[in-house]
Amino acid sequence: MSPADENSPSALDHVLILAPYRKDADYLARLLGDHQVNVEIGLAGNNLAELLAASPGVLIGTHEALTPAAIEAVADHLNRQPSWAEMPVVVLLDRASRPDQVRAELSRVWPRARLLFYQRPVTAVELVSGVQSALLVRLRQREVRDHIAREIELRRELNHRVKNILASVTSIFEMTRRGATSVEVLARDFRGRLGALDKVHSAVFHAEDDAVSIAEIAALTFEPYMAGDDERIVAQGPPVTLHREAGTTMALCLHELTTNAIKYGAMSRPEGRVRFTWEVSKTQAPELGIRWKEYGGPTVEEPMRIGYGTRYVRSALTSMFGRPPQISFERDGLRCEARGLFSPLSATSDSHGS
Amino acid sequence: MRIFYLEDNPLIAMHVEQLVEDGGHVFAGTASSFEELRERFDTLVMDCALVDIDLADGHTGPQAVVWLKERGVPSIFMTGQSQVAEEYRDVAVGVVPKPISESLLAEKLRLLASVVNNSD
Repeated sequence: MSPADENSPSALDHVLILAPYRKDADYLARLLGDHQVNVEIGLAGNNLAELLAASPGVLIGTHEALTPAAIEAVADHLNRQPSWAEMPVVVLLDRASRPDQVRAELSRVWPRARLLFYQRPVTAVELVSGVQSALLVRLRQREVRDHIAREIELRRELNHRVKNILASVTSIFEMTRRGATSVEVLARDFRGRLGALDKVHSAVFHAEDDAVSIAEIAALTFEPYMAGDDERIVAQGPPVTLHREAGTTMALCLHELTTNAIKYGAMSRPEGRVRFTWEVSKTQAPELGIRWKEYGGPTVEEPMRIGYGTRYVRSALTSMFGRPPQISFERDGLRCEARGLFSPLSATSDSHGS
Repeated sequence: MRIFYLEDNPLIAMHVEQLVEDGGHVFAGTASSFEELRERFDTLVMDCALVDIDLADGHTGPQAVVWLKERGVPSIFMTGQSQVAEEYRDVAVGVVPKPISESLLAEKLRLLASVVNNSD
């Protein structure tokens, strides 16, 4: 549908004409049809409830059409309208009728209808512009409906995300608690991990499209440890954008690797260095590869027990790349490498559900 | 009991791995989507599964539970969406709400163990 069609009030809705006489019905249908308004005709004897169930945008009724049965069928339809709807109803009154009386009566039996009255004879211009403005009212109502639906959807999504974050935080806390030797250590490690989660959340949120680049994640993670022209940590790679979940996982992994390097690894010495690099292969199914390499620090020995950091990095990178990372405690420094298909991690990937 | 975990959040997966091992069970691995589970299923060994509702390939947890049940693998839901889980309570053995309570998970694992043992 072209933008012009979307803006045309009659593009989606049709007008239901209730006129017992074929001549009146045909005249109205032709008049509105000439102005690109879709119409449906309800003659005497047609099943009115069925016609209404097709959800016309606007109803036009001639005076003679308003039999007690028809009034009741319309009232029933109006009562069943969803909360966003107030169907516009155009009533064509007889020359001899008393408009005030009819209006009062119809307003009573048809609550939540937008009533528009014309007394015959009515000019074509008047009637067409009245119907067009009624269709516009209906279009606005449908926009309100879409807006409400979107808001419900957003609330659901928000609830889902909050639940997810709380579940993540609970897991971080429980796992941190296990490894903690004192309350101070627990507080320090937990604070650090929450901080990493918070930073990447802000980065993803500010991006608006729920995406974050690896360079940005690296900058956020290393920023507290890089003063001035400090070259202790080098982060290098092409522009690569990850979707929210992959970006969050990457940020938490880098946080663990960095804190580990500060506590036990290369960054525990002024002369120690870290290189974090990444690349995307130029193959038919591109693969993302990441590499963390420490050097110039203290001599590394394989730790006796696996701590939170190593455990997390291993499990998170396995989940991210679909295969386990290579973590090696080489004598000159820790090395961690992982690679796997880029498309499931890419911000532009369609396959990823939220 | 060998327990598999269908979950796309590695933090939670790691936590549950520890809890499963604390309970004296074997953690049989994770997959982050229903699609990945189907691809790898023939290479996996599991007696039962824990299943999140929203996975990396969308709202596929309920389908995964049905699919696993057809292959003789009983599951419990691990989810923040207890309402959705309630709709599928005939196919799953139980539900553990998120954030995870360690004692509740232990209790549901005992329930799962009784189902696994009865089917042997």
